[in-house]
Amino acid sequence: MKIIKNNKIDESVYIETLENGMKIIVVPKKNTKKKYVIWATKFGSIDNNFIEPKTGKEIKVPDGVAHYLEHKMFENENGIDSLYKMMALGLDANAYTTNDHTAFLFAGTDNFYEGLDELMNYVQSPYFTDQNVEKERGIIGQEIGRYDDEPDWKLYVNTMDCLYTNNPIKLDIAGTVESISKITKEILYSCYNTFYHPSNMVMCISGDFEPEKIIEEVKKRIKTKEKNEEIKRIYPKEQKGINKKQKEANMGINMPMFMIGYKDELEQCDDVVKKDLAIQIILNSLLGKTSKIYQELYNDGLLQTSLDISYEYSKTYAHVLIAGESTDPKKVYEKIEQTLKKENVSEEDFERSKKKIYGDIVTEYNDVEEIGRMYLSDAIKDINSMDYIDKIDEIDIEYVNEILNKLFKENESVLSIVR
Amino acid sequence: MNIIKTETFKTNLYAIFLTVPMNKDTVTINSLIPAVLRRGTEKYPSQLEINKKLEEMYGASFNCGVDKMGDYQVLKFYIEILSNKYLPEKQNATKFLEELVFNPLVENNGFKREYVDQEKENIRRIIESRKDNKAKYSLDRCIEEMFEGEIYGLYKFGNVKDLEKIDEKKLYEQYKKIINEARIDCFGCGKELENIEIPVRNSKENLIKNEIQKHEIKNKEIKEKMDVTQGKLIMGLVTPEEPKSVISVYNTILGGGANSKLFQNVREKEGLAYSAGSSYIRRKNAIFIKTGIETSNYKKAVEIIKKQLEEMKNGNITDDEFNSGKKLITSSLSLIQESQEDLIAYYFDQKLYDENLELNKYIENIEKVSKNDVINLAKDIKLDTIYFLHGEE
Repeated sequence: MKIIKNNKIDESVYIETLENGMKIIVVPKKNTKKKYVIWATKFGSIDNNFIEPKTGKEIKVPDGVAHYLEHKMFENENGIDSLYKMMALGLDANAYTTNDHTAFLFAGTDNFYEGLDELMNYVQSPYFTDQNVEKERGIIGQEIGRYDDEPDWKLYVNTMDCLYTNNPIKLDIAGTVESISKITKEILYSCYNTFYHPSNMVMCISGDFEPEKIIEEVKKRIKTKEKNEEIKRIYPKEQKGINKKQKEANMGINMPMFMIGYKDELEQCDDVVKKDLAIQIILNSLLGKTSKIYQELYNDGLLQTSLDISYEYSKTYAHVLIAGESTDPKKVYEKIEQTLKKENVSEEDFERSKKKIYGDIVTEYNDVEEIGRMYLSDAIKDINSMDYIDKIDEIDIEYVNEILNKLFKENESVLSIVR
Repeated sequence: MNIIKTETFKTNLYAIFLTVPMNKDTVTINSLIPAVLRRGTEKYPSQLEINKKLEEMYGASFNCGVDKMGDYQVLKFYIEILSNKYLPEKQNATKFLEELVFNPLVENNGFKREYVDQEKENIRRIIESRKDNKAKYSLDRCIEEMFEGEIYGLYKFGNVKDLEKIDEKKLYEQYKKIINEARIDCFGCGKELENIEIPVRNSKENLIKNEIQKHEIKNKEIKEKMDVTQGKLIMGLVTPEEPKSVISVYNTILGGGANSKLFQNVREKEGLAYSAGSSYIRRKNAIFIKTGIETSNYKKAVEIIKKQLEEMKNGNITDDEFNSGKKLITSSLSLIQESQEDLIAYYFDQKLYDENLELNKYIENIEKVSKNDVINLAKDIKLDTIYFLHGEE
């Protein structure tokens, strides 16, 4: 077991990799009654083409399978739905699917081990029938319909379409009504058997636990003990550069929304944590609430709230997103692009931004759910979240301005607008 | 100042609440006050200086806004800062919060005109963009229709017509009145807390009276057409005023979580919706049922929901439904202690309504509720307003 201790923030993380390849991460928290566990498989909406390990056959699955499978995991042979069973125990249970993983989780103050029994049982015992697969189609159809009405979602999907030519990150996570009509129980079993093997899974636990003890409890409940071969995923080759410059959608909203995207080259992602921090420093310094441009845009009535920034990264994609709302998104876009092209991060902004980001990171440790989610989504990308707190001190201004040059000055951006 | 001591968090959270009775003449002008206060103070005259100071305080965050609590309007101000142990240098967060609330930038007996004009414009846009969030809009609209002509039917940001009439002098006058007459509550939650000091006031009058405005049953059915793929159906129910613990349990059995009657029947049995649930507005004696359905399923959905209300009245509640409903409330209540914002919100509500129940006592009251209590109560719950936001059929 690997133990990483950080004295500055009084936190430790315990990492254990089991013989079957599954990774367990425990972040113990004293003085808290809430306990949180999240268990994920590295199977997301972009994994729609792979080699089935058992047969060696190449398989292409309809869009939206990972999400459909997430829904069906709660079904049991005895007819009892695990989600309801966990809720009846007073646990806040849920599941979600992203581009690169599917996660099952619960939080609660009591009945933790009963919940863990149920969670680890349903994730390890699929039960799909023609009938129960069919029943889900209407519900997921409604879920897709709900997304269709959400401007934020449209904004994001259109940005991906601008940035990428072939990468399946362009696709809707839940698929379309048409694509999910082709999903059968055979397809679900094939995906389950491929991706829901412990060697492809990570579990994060946070709460008032003895790390060794909780890891033993998890081990006891694991059904597959042997390791699996590595899964071969097939992704289409992505071209360099963007797909299209701009995309607009009309959804009849009063305050237009915009999202600006910068595509990052994957081969330049050697130290992602350091890079992520540099990007946060750049965007906080040049576009954040203390920047000249933000004040200008606010005073001109072009921005009402600060911009949302994020750096999304996986093994097949990497990009920076800058989003906001404005009556004149094109003008805001021009100003942002100009600022990133012309300005550099000053020493003063650099120091202040570092203080702010340090505070933001420490604040994440307020809540076991935040901790669990953060460690999980980082672990999916082979990052250890604890690195952030150390690397914020290591970073220097030269590195920051170097990233600024490569990512924002020499790179073409895209713009998605929803009106 | 109310102190909530806890070792659970890495940060301290402080809050100042200014509470006034809500009414249609002042709802708009009051909603503008927090927006203008956060633009500048005497010591930090612009947003830029305020934000720089916050970042220098290791990413402290200041938040403010306006809320509707029962028939009150509450102006809320928060500051969150790392607790001393994690701060490389000590900071004075409460002084900064006091500065923001009680020491605004004043020019010629008014707020700074530029700030007022810009924030008026911002609020106008918020009001005009209400329709952008369909789920929130449809709930707001149902509340508006159900409480038409009553205080609770007012929108928390007010209206554009009244907004136009406000200038920097009138706004400053209203601010002074509120500082002098509003009920003021201060909270701190965390460890090694600093004190919050309120300026001396010359008014002894308390504007707050603990009465909930009487509500007449409306029996409305409202349909509104918009360009949406999925229709939003909201149904407003009226509940008795007491016993709130029993009504809470009733609400969870009906529509709290995946074991509830609504979720099981509207979603699982009929596959009509992805989400179906209900929430209880304790301070207004109302329950709102919310679900998203296809436009053509309107009649069917309303029928199924009404049938669930009948089932509750007829006492058709299984032990599973009852027990898991109760468990859901008690466990979500016990999670309040895991969030500083929720802790402050809980104790503020308890103080404002003079109930002052400790959290564990409150949970005990829920534990005591029996199935018979719920069945007996069910006959007193009445459907009031149905609101449907829909697209093309």
